[in-house]
Amino acid sequence: MKTVRYFLLLMCLLLPLNSQATELKLGAPLTIDTVTKVSEINKNPDQYLGKDVIVEGLVKNVCAKRGCWMDLASDLPFEKIQVKVVDGEIVFPIEVKGRIARVEGTVDKVQLSQDQAIRMGKHRAEEQGIPFDPASVTGPETFYRIKGLGAVIK
Amino acid sequence: MKWRKWNYILHRDVGYLCVGLTLIYGISGIAVNHISNTFNPSYTIEKLSATGPPLLTGAQPDMDYILLVLKAVREEGLYKNAALVSPGTMRIFVEGNTIDIQLKTGELTMEKVQRKPLLFIVNYLHLNKAKGTWTWLADIYGIGLIFLALTAYL
Repeated sequence: MKTVRYFLLLMCLLLPLNSQATELKLGAPLTIDTVTKVSEINKNPDQYLGKDVIVEGLVKNVCAKRGCWMDLASDLPFEKIQVKVVDGEIVFPIEVKGRIARVEGTVDKVQLSQDQAIRMGKHRAEEQGIPFDPASVTGPETFYRIKGLGAVIK
Repeated sequence: MKWRKWNYILHRDVGYLCVGLTLIYGISGIAVNHISNTFNPSYTIEKLSATGPPLLTGAQPDMDYILLVLKAVREEGLYKNAALVSPGTMRIFVEGNTIDIQLKTGELTMEKVQRKPLLFIVNYLHLNKAKGTWTWLADIYGIGLIFLALTAYL
């Protein structure tokens, strides 16, 4: 009986789990006031490289496996930027897809050889359960992303 | 041998306190051990294909069109947002469902996501997604386990 009581007490601690409707704060508190447009970073990435920024956008996709990245829509159509966080440090719940996120982080440059790009493409496709054609990678790839430090999801 | 009596009492009572968390960590440990591209320990992710209404030539995708698509797939979840992910594809976000529709043909894919009962909660705690106070509770649990291991030998 005692065991059951302790177990129930612990289960009561699980109540703040419903993150669906409320504002969700993840990681470090946001410290920058001015939002930088995703399109601005995509247009002049080297200008922002290594700098801390705040970006805001619609969450288009989330890592289904570990919640370790999410894609934020740009202010311009069809553009996006990836926010990557250290595994386990911040976990983006899959349910935040379609919500608006404000993320603070450092602009980072990722350079991949053709082999690495194929491996990454394959890995992401497997993760998302979508087909991947290695022939679609024709050479080394470079992309910019945000190393996320903190986020508020509305 | 008074200390032995106290050792016994403390071992038993700390054991009572730890049992709930041991179950949580044990169940979750087995589940996350088997994480793969086909097994998500926290969510049930179902991918479905269907056909919705194509967008009439020259028309712009608007709320009426979105409602038409949702009606076609009998989706009644809470509408969150929509975005064009490419010139010909719109993504509609509904609570628990993400719909990608090809505007020209009406072909669509749905990704339905549901939290796994019990497993979602135990993984949430085991992987310390709650952070904050939970980190301290988990630390206390860890210390409790060390205490149990040591007192078991006395």
